[in-house]
Amino acid sequence: MTPAIEPGDWLLVDPTTARWPRRGSVVVFREPDSGALAIKRVAAGPGDRVGFAGGYLVMAPDEAWLLADASEAVTAAAGHGPPIDSRRFGPVPLDQLVGRAWFRYAPLRRIGRIPRLAAAAP
Amino acid sequence: MFLTAVVRLLAPRTVARAHCDLPCGVYDPEQARIEAESCYKIIEKYAANDDAAFRTRALHIKEERAELVKHHLDVLWHDYFKPEHLDTVSGLHDLFWQATKQASKVKASTDLADAQKLLDLIDQVDAAWKATGGPGKTRVAGRPG
Repeated sequence: MTPAIEPGDWLLVDPTTARWPRRGSVVVFREPDSGALAIKRVAAGPGDRVGFAGGYLVMAPDEAWLLADASEAVTAAAGHGPPIDSRRFGPVPLDQLVGRAWFRYAPLRRIGRIPRLAAAAP
Repeated sequence: MFLTAVVRLLAPRTVARAHCDLPCGVYDPEQARIEAESCYKIIEKYAANDDAAFRTRALHIKEERAELVKHHLDVLWHDYFKPEHLDTVSGLHDLFWQATKQASKVKASTDLADAQKLLDLIDQVDAAWKATGGPGKTRVAGRPG
């Protein structure tokens, strides 16, 4: 999730917004495959359309499409595989969202709000 | 001492990951083929045995193997094949769609013809893997012939 989130960042998470993710927000959620806590950006919310495999998917009223900020080309250049996000595990049910990461309180040089941005093209 | 206590107080209680895959880079449809052959053989054994406990175990193992077929096909589809391969192999998405659907069918079926159809589809995936240079790109060289 660099540069928005760097490894070791300390984040405040607002759990009250878990059920209405807005496009561009950074959210903490439980991965459908593993149940592990993960962090990605909301690329599409309930009812939105996302491009996929030459066509498109429509999000159900209870799911969101969560993507890493980095493209596959960027992670490949860094020596990693593709980002593990909705392109891998599909739409994420909203009840798996833990909350919206909205503020970074450490490290000191990076303190500040985490802005909503346009997510990477789905 | 005081500072350490404050840092400990403020430190996050949970860790969230934003990870990427770290693939080994070894891909071969043979993995899916072997699991699919297991399904085929288990269906044969299931049909040739009347023992209820044996047949129950056979169905359970076949379902596990069919699930592994889907897993191995998914790994090939997601991680090995790249957008540029669509130019080399037409109908690649449809082939994987059919193959994974067929694996689901074999999971629930005791019809040998279904298992054979799955093997045929995996052989088509194997042809696509070879057509895109899979053996040279993904396997470790030096294995005795």
